[in-house]
Amino acid sequence: MTITKYFHIAKISMRNVFAYKADVFAHSLFIGLIIFIFINLWQVIFIDPNNAIEGFTLTMMIWYLVLTESIVTSFGRLVEDMGNEIQSGEIATKLTKPYNYLLFQYSQNISKSLFRFTTTFIVGALLTLYFVGPLNFSLTSIPFIIISVLAAITLHFCLMALISTSIFWLEEAKAIDFLYSKIVFIIGGMFFPLEIFPDWLASISAKLPFSYIAYFPAKLFVSFSLNDFFKVFLTQLFWIAVIITLNYVMYKFIISKVQIHGG
Amino acid sequence: MPPIISLNKVSKIFKAKKKTKGFVNSLKSVLKPNYQEFKAVNNISFQAEKGEIIGFIGPNGAGKSTTIKMMTGILHQTIGEIKVLGYNPQKDRKELAMHVGTVFGQKPQLWYHLPAIDTFDLFSKIYEIPEEIYKKRLKKLIKTFEVQSFINTPVRQLSLGQRMRLEIMASLLHNPKVIFLDEPTIGLDIVVKKKIRALIKKLNKEQQTTIILTSHDMEDVETLCKRLIIINQGEIVFDGPTKDIKERYLNKKRLTVILSKKIKEIKLPGAKTMFKGDYKHGLEVDTSKHSIQKVIQKLTSKYAIEDINIQDPPIEEIIEEIFKGKKV
Repeated sequence: MTITKYFHIAKISMRNVFAYKADVFAHSLFIGLIIFIFINLWQVIFIDPNNAIEGFTLTMMIWYLVLTESIVTSFGRLVEDMGNEIQSGEIATKLTKPYNYLLFQYSQNISKSLFRFTTTFIVGALLTLYFVGPLNFSLTSIPFIIISVLAAITLHFCLMALISTSIFWLEEAKAIDFLYSKIVFIIGGMFFPLEIFPDWLASISAKLPFSYIAYFPAKLFVSFSLNDFFKVFLTQLFWIAVIITLNYVMYKFIISKVQIHGG
Repeated sequence: MPPIISLNKVSKIFKAKKKTKGFVNSLKSVLKPNYQEFKAVNNISFQAEKGEIIGFIGPNGAGKSTTIKMMTGILHQTIGEIKVLGYNPQKDRKELAMHVGTVFGQKPQLWYHLPAIDTFDLFSKIYEIPEEIYKKRLKKLIKTFEVQSFINTPVRQLSLGQRMRLEIMASLLHNPKVIFLDEPTIGLDIVVKKKIRALIKKLNKEQQTTIILTSHDMEDVETLCKRLIIINQGEIVFDGPTKDIKERYLNKKRLTVILSKKIKEIKLPGAKTMFKGDYKHGLEVDTSKHSIQKVIQKLTSKYAIEDINIQDPPIEEIIEEIFKGKKV
């Protein structure tokens, strides 16, 4: 079966993650520090913690941030890694195998990403529980939130894969990568929910795929409704389909037109 | 039987952005890039039969790797036709990959932090090898390659020689009909090189595997390949039996001698002076006329030798010789 291949790639990659234990640990600590800073920042803004800003209480705001941070930073330096593979010509060893290259990359990275997501979320959740307190949410919403988070991570991957392949033209993807991550930070709503933006920016942001990586799944997490879930999930699927198609077209083009580096 | 590999008038043209000097020109080139075309591979044709080992040699940038990448479907030719095992590599890359093995000496495929056996298990799934067949084959390969003692050690802890044996093994698990070996002995010491050569030979003999081998080491090619294709600046300049090249061009050995006493020039019958220093001298011996053993015997009896090093002339010089020979 073809699909089991990819499952095995994900499995071996998960084992490989443990070789980078220290890296994952350091990453989680760093994100923990950021969350700690934001806890303090929001505590100053919410003079009275029982007040709500644009529908968000202090507790909601911090838990929102824990989830967006965990999703957005879960891939680490994916663009850099994939870019190096293209620049060094190592991609050649991958293309001589009987699998789809993008699916290979996805399987290899999704397990790494899920591992990092989990560790970051645990560190963030512990900090938040200690300093701010638990989030009021229903247990039945958990499976839906997990589905939406998985879709968010997948969409995030597809966009980063698209950026990495642009290296074939630009020879360097650092600038686009930088720009992309800042777009997700701000327009995607990683730092602040869209409600805080001016209306015009919020409505633009809601129409772009970036907010489906951070804002929408995190909003579901802190204030769940089944109706919202279906809307969010379907839009996520829509964007995933669009970006995969773009990836596919670009990939086809690259394979036929562009040279492989490194002799 | 149709040939295993056939290339018919294949060319690959790369377009590269032309870089211009000066700030103003750089700005201009951003707005309107100037493309320069160059032919990495120019109108080459050849065929390979079942069970052949073909040495594919040439200087850096000659187009060897590009040709291999086209035969495996990673790169697409600009014009011409390629057939490998009846497949069109451009269209059927994945299907072809099921029957082809590749080793890029400078690009490892084993997972660096995991033991090689993990990569092998993964490959057995990727190549969709039935469990039982895989186990049998693995057992046999472990024995042939003598890797039992370190197959469970993380790859990063292994020596280059051990790693390369495992790399080659990884590309054989699915019993490929064609193997492309791109610089499989690069960076290895003589003992390991010999071992790898013996393995390649055995494999070819037992399985009738067709092998395309590129190398900078003439010795690899001499010992393994009956047929040689020499490529230079994207064109095939020689395609024929290795022994033809050997008789004509591989009959020279270079000696670098370090003496313990200062001497102006080493004078020996059969040895031509290449360069001379106070202690370090370079000699060339035509082995078709003089035995290298005798020359060295004479050398050691006549001079006080500190160190001696024997080498083949570099591949670039051999190709130059071939060109000269053609003109004459």
